[in-house]
Amino acid sequence: MKFECGDLDRALSMPELMPEAREHFKQCAACRREYRLWTEISTAAKELHEEWESPELWPRIQRSIDAEPKPQPAWWKEWKTWAIAAVALIGVSAAVWRTWQHMAPTSPQGSTAVSNAADRDFLTEQALAEVERNESAYRQSIDKLSQLAQPKLENPASAVSVNYREKLVMIDSAIAETRANLDQNRFNMRLQTELANLYREKQETLKELLTRDQKN
Amino acid sequence: MEGCKRGNRRAYERLYELHAGRLKSIAFHLVGSRADAEDAVQEMFLKVYRAMDGFEGQSSLATWMCRILINCCYDVLRKKGRAAEQPLRAEAATESKVPMKLALERALQRLNERQRIVFLLFEVEGLRHSEIAAVLQIAEGTSRSWLFEAKRELKRSLMEKGA
Repeated sequence: MKFECGDLDRALSMPELMPEAREHFKQCAACRREYRLWTEISTAAKELHEEWESPELWPRIQRSIDAEPKPQPAWWKEWKTWAIAAVALIGVSAAVWRTWQHMAPTSPQGSTAVSNAADRDFLTEQALAEVERNESAYRQSIDKLSQLAQPKLENPASAVSVNYREKLVMIDSAIAETRANLDQNRFNMRLQTELANLYREKQETLKELLTRDQKN
Repeated sequence: MEGCKRGNRRAYERLYELHAGRLKSIAFHLVGSRADAEDAVQEMFLKVYRAMDGFEGQSSLATWMCRILINCCYDVLRKKGRAAEQPLRAEAATESKVPMKLALERALQRLNERQRIVFLLFEVEGLRHSEIAAVLQIAEGTSRSWLFEAKRELKRSLMEKGA
């Protein structure tokens, strides 16, 4: 390619053309002058940087910052969001727990409703603690019932009583297994529901045993 | 930056010590006087203070501050009822003893806004194209292209004036 004066602008934007441009400058004073000006612009530009002392500027900035209300830190904004989310979760969990409490011990059909509620696989830690407290109280009341039934179970008076004893052994075994599974995953709502149903079953069985013996 | 996020005044002072020189110069070239430049820098620091908590460090602190400063400079010009293109600073012109510098200052005023700002940031303040791209939120290639246009215009303007 033969470098011509019209190629100068292109060469200035494309460094790979500069060797040819420099060859051209040897014969062309006008282009040489233009190129010198191009480099002088950059040199002179450095001198345009302005430096001056401003002893009052930082104190002014400091005063204006001091007059500002302290910005809320990120954790505070996040905390507000989490607090709202936690309140909503507690509300939902409480509703689930109420459903579980009312349905599980009384009606056999309740298990369907409970398992619908149990579609929410996980409870919050707080709701879970509440569930565990109630479960513990429920277990204690059933244990009292068991103590009342204990003499009848140890010395069954009839084949039916033997059946009740075997059924209770099976229920206790299922309770133990479910509780062991729950220890692996305390937040599993389906297992919590299953456990509640087993306790209900045990309660019903003990009631039947005691009332039957009273009738007899 | 962490100190600033915690609202530590000393951290802001350090930020000022590190960047004020360059920021004042950029503001000076945009607003045309030292007093207005200082106002713009003050306003910028206030905005940085208010927004520091939301700064996530996607760009460097320096380029973020520079971006805020440029907006503050435009605010200062708007408040003063001046167009950004209006000829700048009698004070620098009278101080200058160097003809090329003076000619360049005058030629700069004839550039359009984008050419002038890229030229100022690259040639005067020494920012890299990647930094300018971050400040102006443009592509690096665009920054290079605007700089070339700026220099070509300046060359033409200076040649007409016989510099």
